[in-house]
Amino acid sequence: MLSLSLPDACCRDVGIVALPGPPDVPASAAEAFGGLPSLATAVDALGIQAVLGISLPSPTIFAQYFVFAVLLGGIYGLVALGLTMIFGVMDVINFAHGALMVVAMYTVLVFSDATGLSPFFAVPFAVLLLFVLGIIVYRSTIAPIIDAPQENQLIVTFGVLLILVSGIEMIFGSDPQQLGLNLGSLEIAGVFVPQGQLYALGIALVALAGTWLFLQRTMLGRAIRGTADNRDGAQYVGIDVPRIDALTFGIGAALAGLAGAVIPLFQSFTPALGDQYLINAFVVVVLGGLGSFPGAFVGGLIIGFIQVFGSAYLGGSTYQIVIFSAFILVLLVKPEGLLGGSTDE
Amino acid sequence: MSNALSRAVERYGAFRDQWYALPVLVAASLVVLAAIPFLRRLALFGVAPLGWLSLNMLIVTLIWATTAQAWNIMSGYTGQFSFGHAAFFGLGAYTTIILTGTVGISPWIGMLLGSVLAAIYGLLIGALTFRYDLEGHYFALATLAFAELLRYVFTNVPQLGGASGFFRPLAREYADGPGLAAFQFTGDLPYYYLILGFLTVVTVVSLAINRSQLGYYLFAIREREQAAAAIGVPTYRYKLLAVAVSAFFTAWPGAFWAMYFNTIRPTTVFELLVNVEILLPAIVGGIGTVLGPIVGAFVIIPVGEFVRQSFSVPGLNNAIYGVILIAIVLYSPKGVVSWPSRFVELLRVRTDLLDDDGT
Repeated sequence: MLSLSLPDACCRDVGIVALPGPPDVPASAAEAFGGLPSLATAVDALGIQAVLGISLPSPTIFAQYFVFAVLLGGIYGLVALGLTMIFGVMDVINFAHGALMVVAMYTVLVFSDATGLSPFFAVPFAVLLLFVLGIIVYRSTIAPIIDAPQENQLIVTFGVLLILVSGIEMIFGSDPQQLGLNLGSLEIAGVFVPQGQLYALGIALVALAGTWLFLQRTMLGRAIRGTADNRDGAQYVGIDVPRIDALTFGIGAALAGLAGAVIPLFQSFTPALGDQYLINAFVVVVLGGLGSFPGAFVGGLIIGFIQVFGSAYLGGSTYQIVIFSAFILVLLVKPEGLLGGSTDE
Repeated sequence: MSNALSRAVERYGAFRDQWYALPVLVAASLVVLAAIPFLRRLALFGVAPLGWLSLNMLIVTLIWATTAQAWNIMSGYTGQFSFGHAAFFGLGAYTTIILTGTVGISPWIGMLLGSVLAAIYGLLIGALTFRYDLEGHYFALATLAFAELLRYVFTNVPQLGGASGFFRPLAREYADGPGLAAFQFTGDLPYYYLILGFLTVVTVVSLAINRSQLGYYLFAIREREQAAAAIGVPTYRYKLLAVAVSAFFTAWPGAFWAMYFNTIRPTTVFELLVNVEILLPAIVGGIGTVLGPIVGAFVIIPVGEFVRQSFSVPGLNNAIYGVILIAIVLYSPKGVVSWPSRFVELLRVRTDLLDDDGT
């Protein structure tokens, strides 16, 4: 009975507005999948038992969720990429990561409003801007205390978060903003693939490949990996570690910028959206192993699947409880992460 | 430099070296706090220099001073940096309001049960994280995860209020009416003295720990845990004790929050930012010191609250917190309370130099 309900109009909205919905908004299954009324209402009305009673959903709906989960997982992987890189090299947990994403979101908004060009042209601009911002943040706040206890760096990056997010809030207000961009969806065998997220996933994969090639194939990348492995050793063989740190932080911020810049392609955004991505990005990074690139995407996929299937079958933001439980479990049992190991080696 | 000033500095320096200096300073600050509601009406030449301080701002300041004081016992003394104290704060708030609102029990008993619950949750977090040797970033992230976990539990379980939380019940629904027994008052002044009482209790506990053998054990764990263990300090047990005490007292201002404001929601007591507001005064004032959390709270919260309430620029107060936070960590990581001693040192050095010149 449920499989009959995939009206055409629905899935266009799904991709643009609701999918990686802010976990705080009590997005019931009905809201999160606004386009799937019959399934959503069934789940909502009957609760978990009904789901258990239904046994398995139809293959089409299952495939639909699967697609959503992969797309969302890719975004989470992209969000976690810069975070894991800064951690791997500098041993700094960057609480400002989400705030940097927010700066990129509003950069895209301003850029496309001012120039009238497609937001896609704004993406490289935002990445470049965030690279510069990252270096400024590093030089002014992290560099002076890079040898201080870890807590100090955590507090300072949180201070940066407060300043950036408050600054955005003061300029743009806290109402949701939207690009008014409707990219539509592809339909493959009855399964809808929202194009905004598809582009975002494509960009994420290109970013992963690009960063990986840079780290593996260039001298600078090698210096970064060397610093990640052994900071003192890197210093002894003549690597300018503070410069490498600045570069790493800049690249990490640029990756945050990339993640922030693609999010407006499929989602409305507020200054608070960064926090919500940030917390789950921490989970992704720890699940995958702090400092591990492939781990970031594996962790991202895990979170993507928990979020999409969780919000469909558990309702509300209960999936966040599952996410944090998994997080705590991994922290305790295997803190080096599921893929473990040090950076990119 | 004038002779009078250098003599005063010398005297202060000598006073700071006495064993009774800290208790005297603590008592003096608490007396000043008790007098502030009246001092703010005091006018000099027709101008009240503290006139901009509203009672509400002072109450909020003392709430965060109390949380920071409690946080300090675990994170400042013992060195286990908690980024998830909102868990204990929220448990105190929710337990109080749920028991009072649904069972009609006295909020005081609710607060006590909430504190016990918070201590148990703290013991659970501590037992898991210490057993598995989580340190540094991993420990901070784990505490944050435990706080976020509670936030989503309270958001998604309708019996626990869901996303919309609870309204504070009316005093006559469970007591004879407003008053100390009901934990509710008609004006702000009694609330002020109640939270000052909480702060006093937590401060005295903190001072007692600071001066006891327990305190020395905790400091030893902070400075070098393995060395402490090697000389026979049962580090695991003492870390757990620090977490439990800290969590227990963090629930008090949480309960106060629930009975002072009209509503509580997961977003007001479990939010990411609450974790920071709890520890902010301790960082600014001086981490690991008894006076730091109180001084720090008064350095930042009144300014932030004043800005928040006076200008309709949302976010400005958080931006100010951010700037102060960064400035303190970069330029004065020992906090504001270290400034007098630094000043004294500076003056001493200058006086010595002048003497050497034969002036």
